[in-house]
Amino acid sequence: MLWLNCPQCGSRPVEEFAFGGELPTVPDRITDPHERDIDYVWMFDNLEGVSTERWFHQAGCRRWHTVARDTIDDTLIT
Amino acid sequence: MLALDTLHGIRVVASPSALDAASWPDNTTVLRLAPDDVFVIGATIEHAAVIATADADAIIVAESGFVGCWLHNDALAEVATHIEWHIPTHRPAFAQGYVAGVPAKLWLTDDRALLLCASPYAHDLSERLKGSA
Amino acid sequence: MNEFVETLLEMQWHEPKSSYDVVIIGGGGHGLATAYYLATKHGITNVAVIEANYIGSGNSGRNTTIIRANYGIPESVRFYQRSLELYAGLEDETGCWIMHATKGLLWMAHTETGMRAERARALINTACGAETHVVGPQEIKQICPQIDLTGSGRYPVLGASYHVGAATARHDRVVWAYAQGAMQRGVTVLQHTKVTGLLREGERVVGVETDRGPISAGVVMSAVGGNVTKIAAHAHVRLPVRTHALQAFVTNAYGLDFPGIISDSELSCYVSQTPRGQMLIGAEFEPQPSYSMQSTFNSLASCAKKISSCLPFLRELRVLRQWTGICDVSADFSPIMGFTGVDGFVISTGWGTWGFKGIPAGGQQMAELIATGTTPDLIAPFALDRFERDHSMADLGSAGTR
Ligand SMILES: Cc1cc2nc3c(=O)[nH]c(=O)nc-3n(C[C@H](O)[C@H](O)[C@H](O)COP(=O)(O)OP(=O)(O)OC[C@H]3O[C@@H](n4cnc5c(N)ncnc54)[C@H](O)[C@@H]3O)c2cc1C
Ligand SMILES: [Zn+2]
Repeated sequence: MLWLNCPQCGSRPVEEFAFGGELPTVPDRITDPHERDIDYVWMFDNLEGVSTERWFHQAGCRRWHTVARDTIDDTLIT
Repeated sequence: MLALDTLHGIRVVASPSALDAASWPDNTTVLRLAPDDVFVIGATIEHAAVIATADADAIIVAESGFVGCWLHNDALAEVATHIEWHIPTHRPAFAQGYVAGVPAKLWLTDDRALLLCASPYAHDLSERLKGSA
Repeated sequence: MNEFVETLLEMQWHEPKSSYDVVIIGGGGHGLATAYYLATKHGITNVAVIEANYIGSGNSGRNTTIIRANYGIPESVRFYQRSLELYAGLEDETGCWIMHATKGLLWMAHTETGMRAERARALINTACGAETHVVGPQEIKQICPQIDLTGSGRYPVLGASYHVGAATARHDRVVWAYAQGAMQRGVTVLQHTKVTGLLREGERVVGVETDRGPISAGVVMSAVGGNVTKIAAHAHVRLPVRTHALQAFVTNAYGLDFPGIISDSELSCYVSQTPRGQMLIGAEFEPQPSYSMQSTFNSLASCAKKISSCLPFLRELRVLRQWTGICDVSADFSPIMGFTGVDGFVISTGWGTWGFKGIPAGGQQMAELIATGTTPDLIAPFALDRFERDHSMADLGSAGTR
C-alpha cells in the first residue's frame, strides 16, 4: 500500500491524505489562449509513469505538499 | 473509556519565523501543528503579544476545539497498537496522524503522553480506543 | 477469451487484413457491441476489432455487473434506460444466455440529506422513463429481510429509493455474445494484437499501427478503457479523463437467496448475489490515478466493514477473490462518446466505474454515429466538445458510484 512522506509529519499511509491533482500542464502546441484555458481547466495528462502532484495531509498538519509518484505501480518516488 | 477533556489555550497562525522566535510561559504545552500554526495549551492571548508585533497579519485566537487526555506508559503502549506509523523515539516529541483511523495528535514527554484530537472526533476516538485506559 | 470458451463458441478467427472500413481498438464490451450493431443494424461488416489481450480481459470482464438507469440527470437516465431495455432483450436477440436477471435496486439513505437525494432521484427517474419509488424502512425490510435497519447502531436506514428495473448479467457472457454475433456476420476480431500508434495523413487518422503491422481504416474508434489517454494522444486529442483503480471482491456462497441489489452512497459500496450464490461487493474507486492492478488489503477491509454494518450476515462469509480494474474516469463522471475533432477518429470513453450497464446503448449509438456520420440525439449530450462548450454532465446524484 502507498505511503507518502509529509515534510512536516513524516511517512504516513495514503488514507491520511487527500489527492489534490497533478500539476497542470498545457501542451506547447496549443497556442490559442482560449483553448489553452480549456485544456488547463479540463484536460489531464493522466501519465503512465512519474506524475508530480499535490497532496493534502488532512489527518495531520493539514498542509499541502508536492509528491512525485509512479502511476505504473502506485509507488512513491519522493 | 478515555476521558477526553477540552484543552484550553490559544491558536496562532503566523509566519514561521515569528513562531520560531516566540517564547511561552513554563506551564504551557506548545504544539507546532505546522510551520505556520501553533496550539499553545494553557496560554492566553496576552502571551502572544510579541507575535503580533513580529507578524502584523498573525491570527491569534482562543482555542477550545481540541480534547485530550494524558496517558501513562501502559496506556500509551496500548494506544500505540492502534497506530500504523512510526512513533518518534526522542522526547519531547510531537506527532500527528491517524490513531485508530481517527485524525489525532500525540505530545510525548519523558514519562507520559498527551493524546488529543479535534473535538468532533472525540466520541469516535474514545469508542475505538475502548479498553485502552 | 479463454481457450475453454473459444472451443465452445462458434467463432471464425481470422488473420489481419491490410485494410478495413472500420477499425475498433479494444475488445471490451463497448468495442464489440459497436461492431455487433454496425453489422446487424447497418450492414457494415468489413470491420476489425483489435484487442491487445483476449476479449473481455479489461473492465468488461472485471465488473460487478450492475445494470441500472437511476441516474440523476435526464440525459443520463434516458441513455441508461435505453441500455437497460436493450439488455433485457439481448438474450432473445442474440440467442446467447447472458444470465440476465431483473432484480430491483435499493439505494439506501442514512441521513435527511441522503433522503432528499433519493427523493430527487425517484422524481427525475420516473419523469424520464425509469421506474423508481421512494420506500420507507418497513418496505426495505420486506424487499430485503437481511438488512439491519439500525446499521449496527451506526448507519440507521431512514429510507431508500427503489429502482424496479435494475438487473445483473454475467459480464463475460455479454462480451462473448456481442463477439459471436459480430463475427458470425463477418466482423474480424484480432486477439493478442496491440495498437501501438495511429496512422495519419495530415491531421486525419487513416488507420492503426499494431505489433502485427499497420492496418488502414476509413474510421478508427478507440474503446480501450483505462488506456485511452495514450491512444488519443497519437491523434493529439486531449481528454478530461484520469485512470483510477477500482476494486471488487466476492465471497463464498451464501446459503439463502439475497434479493436484489443494494447500493449506498454514504457507505460507498454496493452488493448483489451471483447466480452461484456468492456475494459480489464493490466499492469506490481509489482517489489517486493509477495504472496498477494491485488489490489492497485496506480497500477490502474498509469496504467489508462498512457493508457488513447494514448486512451483518456478510460477517459469516469468507472472501474468495479480490481483483482490480483500471477505469477511465471522466471529469464529470459521465461517458464521452462520439467525434473528437480529428477526422477519421471517434471515441467511446469515460466509462469509468459505471460503463458495463452502458454497453448495449453505447454500442448501438456509436454504430449509428459511424454508419451515418452524424451524432444520434441520445448521445449528443455526451460529446467530447461539451467541456469546451461548458456543458459538463456532472451527475451529483450518482457521482462516483457504479
Ligand atoms: C471492479 C469493477 C466493478 C465495476 N462494476 C460495474 C458495475 O457494476 N456496473 C457498471 O455499469 N460498470 C461497472 N464497472 C465499469 C465497467 O466494467 C466498464 O466501464 C466497462 O466494462 C468498460 O468497457 P470498455 O469496453 O469501454 O472497456 P474494457 O472492457 O476495459 O475494454 C478495453 C479493452 O481495450 C484493450 N486495449 C487497451 N489498450 C489497447 C491497445 N493499445 N491495443 C488493443 N487493445 C487495447 C484492453 O485489453 C481491453 O480489453 C466496473 C469496473 C470495475 C473495474
Ligand atoms: Zn503532515
